[in-house]
Amino acid sequence: MIISSALVFGLLISALILVAAGVSASDLFNEFVLYTLFDGQSLRAVLFQAAPLIVLGLAGALAFRARFWNLGLEGQMIWGAIAATAVSLFEIGPPSLRLVLMFIAAIIGGLMWALVPVLLKLHLKVNEIISTLMLNYIAVNFLLFLLYGSWKDPRDSFPYSPQFKSFERLPNIFDGVNLAIPIALVIALLVLWFTRISRAGLYLRFVDSSPGVAAAVGVPVQRVILLTVLFSGALAGLAGFMVSAGQEERLTHSFYLGYGFSGILIAFLARNQPIAATVVAVLVATLFVGGRSLQVYYQIPFSMVQLIQAILVICVASSDFFIRYRIRRIQSEA
Amino acid sequence: MSLKNALQLDRVSKSFDGFKALSDASFTARWGEVHALLGENGAGKSSLMNIAAGLYAPEAGALFIDDNPVRLTGPRDAMRQGIGMVHQHFKLVSPFTVAQNILLSMNQSALRGFYDHKLAKVSQAISQKSEELGFGIDPRTRTDRLSVAEQQRVEILKVLLAGAKILILDEPTAVLTDDESNRLLTTVKALATRGAAVILVTHKMHDVMRYADQVTIMRGGKTVATLAPQSVDLSKLVKLTVGDTDSARSVSEPHIRGAARLVITDLSSAQTTTQASNGVLRGVNLTLHSGEIYGIAGVGGNGQTELANALMGFGAPTCGDMLLDGQTQLQSLTPTERRAQGIAAIPADRYGAALAAPLSVADNYAMGQIHSGRYGSFGWLNSRKIAADTTKAIEAFDVQGVRSIHQKAALLSGGNAQKLVIAREFNHPPAIVFAHSPSRGLDVRAMGAIHARLHAARAAGAAVLLISEDLDEVLALADRIGVMSSGRIVVEFNQPADRQAIGQAMVHHV
Amino acid sequence: MEIISSWVGNIPDLAVPFALAALGLIVTERAGVLALGAEGLMLVGALFGVGGYLLFDSTGIALLLAMLAASGVSILFAVMVLVLRINQVIAGLALVFFCQGLTALLGILFGWASHPVSGFEAWTLWPLSELPIVGRLFIQNPVVYLTPLIFFAVAIYLNHSMSGLKLRAVGENPQAADAAGIPVLTYRFAAILAGAALIGLAGAYISVLSTKMWIEDMTGGRGWIAVALVIFARWSPWRAFAGAILFGSIEALIPQLAAAGVRLPQYFVFMTPYVVTLAVMIWVALPKRDQNKPDQKNQPDALGEPFIREERR
Repeated sequence: MIISSALVFGLLISALILVAAGVSASDLFNEFVLYTLFDGQSLRAVLFQAAPLIVLGLAGALAFRARFWNLGLEGQMIWGAIAATAVSLFEIGPPSLRLVLMFIAAIIGGLMWALVPVLLKLHLKVNEIISTLMLNYIAVNFLLFLLYGSWKDPRDSFPYSPQFKSFERLPNIFDGVNLAIPIALVIALLVLWFTRISRAGLYLRFVDSSPGVAAAVGVPVQRVILLTVLFSGALAGLAGFMVSAGQEERLTHSFYLGYGFSGILIAFLARNQPIAATVVAVLVATLFVGGRSLQVYYQIPFSMVQLIQAILVICVASSDFFIRYRIRRIQSEA
Repeated sequence: MSLKNALQLDRVSKSFDGFKALSDASFTARWGEVHALLGENGAGKSSLMNIAAGLYAPEAGALFIDDNPVRLTGPRDAMRQGIGMVHQHFKLVSPFTVAQNILLSMNQSALRGFYDHKLAKVSQAISQKSEELGFGIDPRTRTDRLSVAEQQRVEILKVLLAGAKILILDEPTAVLTDDESNRLLTTVKALATRGAAVILVTHKMHDVMRYADQVTIMRGGKTVATLAPQSVDLSKLVKLTVGDTDSARSVSEPHIRGAARLVITDLSSAQTTTQASNGVLRGVNLTLHSGEIYGIAGVGGNGQTELANALMGFGAPTCGDMLLDGQTQLQSLTPTERRAQGIAAIPADRYGAALAAPLSVADNYAMGQIHSGRYGSFGWLNSRKIAADTTKAIEAFDVQGVRSIHQKAALLSGGNAQKLVIAREFNHPPAIVFAHSPSRGLDVRAMGAIHARLHAARAAGAAVLLISEDLDEVLALADRIGVMSSGRIVVEFNQPADRQAIGQAMVHHV
Repeated sequence: MEIISSWVGNIPDLAVPFALAALGLIVTERAGVLALGAEGLMLVGALFGVGGYLLFDSTGIALLLAMLAASGVSILFAVMVLVLRINQVIAGLALVFFCQGLTALLGILFGWASHPVSGFEAWTLWPLSELPIVGRLFIQNPVVYLTPLIFFAVAIYLNHSMSGLKLRAVGENPQAADAAGIPVLTYRFAAILAGAALIGLAGAYISVLSTKMWIEDMTGGRGWIAVALVIFARWSPWRAFAGAILFGSIEALIPQLAAAGVRLPQYFVFMTPYVVTLAVMIWVALPKRDQNKPDQKNQPDALGEPFIREERR
């Protein structure tokens, strides 16, 4: 209850900022509410956009449940996309299996990039906030190295890889919506299984609530953290595959922009719950789509989307205080 | 002698969350005297002195200084009135030097000049006072490089330099070795001789007998007597402190002591870096048999926590042997392997080592048998079976206040949380039980239920090791009693044991 | 020779932002507040520095405005962590994301993006400027000369003033500080604002004096590197100063190598600061033999912990 009022409050502030930035209130309503939600085409755009966001939100939720601040979603995403693109560029495997191989390569790429900070944290207690962020910058520069170098599409001068062949793209299941959405939903179920149904989930709940108690009652704390963070990295890599093979249909120099932060935001707003993360991801996708049309029609920079997301995080985080306050009051009245 | 009253507390009452910590407690300390306040843990000594130091406001009763009624608004107000208290937990900023720490707590307006000048002035005052009292404290030393005894001296210097005339010391010798204690108390006595009023909160008879001019004894939140310790003998003091309750054992059924299960030889903390006597093991020897309850009694802080942690598999590394059935080293087993050996652990810190507060009752219960495969393989958690087992267990172990097995463990009362721990640990009849202060903070009914469980475990042939600071609990449950002091078992008693003798062994280091 | 001399001459320009940002972080963190928001506050400083210059046509006012703007935004952070007691990691991250979005948006809305500014003239400290090799160290803008003075002032404040002692007490043991009558939250609030002003100045240095223009997200992770630098410096101002020079030297080396004809893949060169940061973090974390050496000032004890007064009943 308090959380939803916090969300509404955050959206109101964002709307005020937009109005101050020169978008009229009625246009805002039309753009976001009517157009985005009731127009078939843009609804498909929202779903299209939601798929990688769902997977990233789940990746964030997993890592946070292991008390690991994985701010490296972006870097892991980039490595996932690079690995998938490598499979395409070097024509590894037969065409019929190519997409599956790209899928697997992306997972491994993301996983490897998450392995570094989690090992550093478990063995040397290196702060993962800094290490994951630094690894992001390193990944970005490596991506640019490839795209301005040997991987550049020889046909033009843009920093893009050659376009994927038709069998290297995620196929459409119906007009405008490709396989990414069902994959994302399956992943959501997989994460639900991992956190709720498997034994690892029980372990993870203990690690999340209190590492000290977890160790004392026999949870293999280190292994649980390692496994969960690798899972998180694998999902981020997969999201990179989804954006490159599903949306851009090639590796581009900026495909990852805005995604890393959104994954963290989705996980936070969903309180690390897989189903809630799926729902919140769709809402954020709406924000993305609405933000793009604002960019096109009102020249509002796309960073507005990030600002709105940050405002939402601040409002929801602040609402915790009021929840605590209310619990205290109820307890003292009882 | 006609000494004047310094501090007087008259019929003071105070309760916390419905629990009456003090009821009509009265106390008078006079100038020029060391006045001991004696009582067991939880008798209300600290509460009473926290009222005197302005930390708590009393619900009823009055406070007088020099026979004038006073209302304290807080600790700084108490300080202004000349009352200074040295708490058990020191309030020192660890990387700061002695001088910096004392400068922080001084009244700034009394000092003039720049920081460096102030610091020099304070340092000088510290050196002077330290020399006067024979403390040997260098104001330039960082406080985290001082021993516990030295840190305590810094705290005393702090209140004295701030102008305290009435000095309250809360359990000052609990953390000191005998030598250090004697040194401190001699100094304190000298302070009193020079006119100050010193209040010594303690549960050590020894300190009282040797150093106090007056002693007030507290029991159950009441002040039961004030007398001159030299006028009575030790056994009378012990009797007044621990109460007249006879040490009749409630245990009825005879038991058969079985084979030795666990033999502990020379168990010591791996590294003893500080000279302080508390918090380390110094060669514990004991043998635990099946079918018996071995109780460990002792004043808190004599190594009990470290022993419990070593037994339950967490905490600092130890050296020495803990041999299980003559073959397995207990240290080498993980918590899971211990469980597989039939070892049940009931740690003192319920929410720090046994239960995850934000998780559900069912989740907490399930950890007991998760590794056995009873609740499914790695990929599948059989939540139906967990729910059924949990429901059955909370019924069997009378865990109350569980509206749903999915409710958070944090919502259980202390007694029910402890019952849940026992339900989990005893879900298979345990072969060995380690229990550390299992009934701390519980009401009489819950305590009774937990004691019945430990008895039942013994009757079923388990070897039970009970570590408790509550002497009554140990007396009521144990077949044999070891008294722990300074990190080892100093003496063993067989039941029926003499309560007075145990009490004296606890306070007299051997 | 020429290469070395021009390398040395470029070091201050690159080291000053690291130094000032790290110093701001130290001020805040010494009071026990985990300040992860530096990247965001630097961006705010960078944007408002350029904005201030474009509005008032004065570099001095531009830098002041940048400091004020960063302090102003940090009030939001202060309220989050001190009043609402939000987890300091979450609050710090939210602040960074907020500032990234805000500055990108305002840069465009106010039309401050891609307008060149002129900054300060360089001051030549003759005759030092005539020295061989290091001469160019003395042909710098005034803020470069000011930076060691700021460090000196902050170091004096922290280690040789009553208020500095109290600030550190708040960061080490707020309960003890409270018992000594120090207003814990007031000190933390002030430390956040003062730290933010320094971080804002660091950001403005980049935009107004170094790049001489506002570009979206132009700090490129320097705020995060500063966070790592503080860990490396173990919260000591002078070690942070040395660390900043080290990082500045590495960054300044990059164009020199290219000029010297060393062919390095450009993007690997761009990675260097991040790789170095990572390496430094690992080096700091490696087990040391001299762990208990005296006078090692490590992390403030209460860093990241909210202060809740023990309840008085």
